[in-house]
Amino acid sequence: MSSEERFDAVVLGGGLLGCFAARHLTSYKLRCALVEAREDVCTGISRGNSAIVYTGCDNKSGTLKARLCVQANRTFEALCAQLGVPFVRRGSLLVSYGPRGDQVVRRKYRQGRDNGVENLEILTGAQAEAMEPGLAPGISCALLAPGTGVTDPWALCFAACENAQANGCRVWRNAPVTALAREGANWIVTAGPHTLRAGAVLNCCGLNAHRVQELCTSPAVRVIPDRADYLVLDQPAGPFVRHVIFQEPEQKGKGLTLVPTTDGKLLLGPSEQPGGEASDRAVTAQGLDFLRSRAARVVPGLDLSQVIRAFGAVRPNPFHVRREGEGWVPEERGIHSFAIEHPHPGLWSLIGIKTPGLTCADALGAMLAGEAAAYLGKDAPNPEFDPCRTPPPRPRDLDLPARRALVQANPAYGRVVCRCEDVTEGEILEAIRRGAVTLDGVKRRVGTGLGRCQGSWCADRVLELLSRELGLSPWEVTQDGPGSPLLGGERRDL
Amino acid sequence: MTCDVLVIGAGAAGMAAALSALEAGAGTVFLIDRDTRLGGVLPQCLHSGFGEVIFRQELTGAQYAARWAARVEAAPICLRLDTTVLAVSPERRALLSGPAGVEEVSFRALVLAAGCREVPIGALALPGTRPAGVFTAGQAQRMVNLEGLTLGRDAVILGSGDVGLVMARQLTLAGCQVSAVVEQRERCGGLPRNYRRSIVECGIPLLTRTTVSRVHGAGRVRGVTLRQLDTGEERFQPCDTLITALGMVPERELLRPLGNPLPSWVFLCGNCHHIHRTVDTVSLQGAQAGREAAALALESGAAG
Repeated sequence: MSSEERFDAVVLGGGLLGCFAARHLTSYKLRCALVEAREDVCTGISRGNSAIVYTGCDNKSGTLKARLCVQANRTFEALCAQLGVPFVRRGSLLVSYGPRGDQVVRRKYRQGRDNGVENLEILTGAQAEAMEPGLAPGISCALLAPGTGVTDPWALCFAACENAQANGCRVWRNAPVTALAREGANWIVTAGPHTLRAGAVLNCCGLNAHRVQELCTSPAVRVIPDRADYLVLDQPAGPFVRHVIFQEPEQKGKGLTLVPTTDGKLLLGPSEQPGGEASDRAVTAQGLDFLRSRAARVVPGLDLSQVIRAFGAVRPNPFHVRREGEGWVPEERGIHSFAIEHPHPGLWSLIGIKTPGLTCADALGAMLAGEAAAYLGKDAPNPEFDPCRTPPPRPRDLDLPARRALVQANPAYGRVVCRCEDVTEGEILEAIRRGAVTLDGVKRRVGTGLGRCQGSWCADRVLELLSRELGLSPWEVTQDGPGSPLLGGERRDL
Repeated sequence: MTCDVLVIGAGAAGMAAALSALEAGAGTVFLIDRDTRLGGVLPQCLHSGFGEVIFRQELTGAQYAARWAARVEAAPICLRLDTTVLAVSPERRALLSGPAGVEEVSFRALVLAAGCREVPIGALALPGTRPAGVFTAGQAQRMVNLEGLTLGRDAVILGSGDVGLVMARQLTLAGCQVSAVVEQRERCGGLPRNYRRSIVECGIPLLTRTTVSRVHGAGRVRGVTLRQLDTGEERFQPCDTLITALGMVPERELLRPLGNPLPSWVFLCGNCHHIHRTVDTVSLQGAQAGREAAALALESGAAG
């Protein structure tokens, strides 16, 4: 048990928002810390999404979402360059196949223009079909948004966390928040074995953000998650489309989204999930049917035998709640803006930040950190703050002489462990050094198991490295945290 | 570095190819494998049924591999183990990576003997969760037979091909309860001898016209839903392990940059050519590819 430690600001939750808030807190002269409930950061909502960096065409003019999204999109290259994270500005096409869709295209064009999105263009169907010959013919018009980008959300989250740590932020994992109380001008946070005293608390606990806030306030906003399914197609399918494609359906309901990812795969989804209540990530037959049937119509030539994985992701939908009898019930309509609660001095809660949360994570973090620093009266910049993070070496991205030199310096970078994605032992060891403690933690950092064999070749090798480096028995190594041991049955002495 | 024949993969096909290329007159033969031992998938095959044609004997996969490995080790072959071929270029150069370094090798003829990979469960895009405890049969075989690991207490095996059947037996012998082998076709997919040894002798139910329609479990597999394909009837089968034997895909990704049709200096053999049912035909095809590759190398060497 550690005794009480004093900080200026404490971030609760190590998802994208929490890690970026921590990063920006360190840009001021503040003593700060981040606590994460689970064994690693990037294990909640941040681990499943579309990886799209939006332009801001979709957000109502004049809102915080619109302002932050447009601003964040413009500077995303610079952000990813600082943090050593992949980013590709693929551009997007919102394609319509009829009068209803045409209206949406025109509305988003106007809205985007009003929001300050640059280089938007309405294309004729023929122009769009020439740009994307894989799309079903009959496009009536399309909105081209060249600014739309694609990133690696996991890499972004880890990079922000590492950057915050490098700038002096303490990070504790396995530290779920169990108490949050005000004492004079300070907050006392109990997180796992730690007791932290801080002037400002930034609650970025994702699906649990309202529960954490309700440790010290009465309910105001709650998250009601819904979920959606995605399909991942292997590299041969990646170049099937060049842009991010949003299909605007003529009927009511959701269209198909196609995302050519930064590592050359193709992501289909999210699926439509009407009235879903499940808060788990189980993939549904309904979601898969939706994706397959939409794909058959919108991209009829796409070879669905290239599917290598289906996954479910959770979206946090914020709702105002009102008292009814003993309990609290959500209002009918959800909150469309970013729900940022500020119920007490020194406490900020991000409850239900959904799309474009990934795009805006850095901007929201900067905004919150700025408010917290001002509140604390310590908003002088930290002269030692370095916004750049040194990314781990990636042999596959190096030219031959550089790759050769890397292997010469450290032979582990020569041994390829994941053949599908060309990931070496050196990268896995570095991922473990940077905080990976599970197979999925390694996967999210370096990509092992993301390829066409889905880890059937490398999983036991990664297991061996985790076991060796962390000093665990192989039977103690988990896929994704407590309760998910990779091995079962009777242990043996190895 | 330069060589006449570069062989990728030192399993049954690659070992035979390298040896026969040498016999056919190739001067320098490189044999490369990413594993630290020769034999490819064979050393993890502790069941018998290997070598009936070539050695007229029923050997285990490991024994079969050892016989070939002894010949390879005695021959003047440039062996590179623990080494992965990162790329092959149309200019007949291969880029190799291993702890010893990254090197480029020019060759005259290429034999691809890279074997195959298993279709992962992800390809089925099943509804349900993605818990720990799901293994492909070959992966399970390697972990149990070579690494001394245990996978679980009770397993369901999806797919009644040979690898699925062999694993059903080996898991049973290792003390794991196999509650069913599930097969969507009308009958068992594997060889009769594997059917006999696994299904009959171990008394494991073979459920034909059945599939796994959902995976359950938050952290670790808790069970699967089995669906009878004709009646549509579904039932929950508890288990903590799911082994998938969904078939094999030839491992040919390295050839992508070479276009289609392949250049005349590429020779495919073994399971990356097509999925073989017995190892003997793999070795025979490997030997043939090695001879052809050597002939081409000598021809182009003389011309150049």
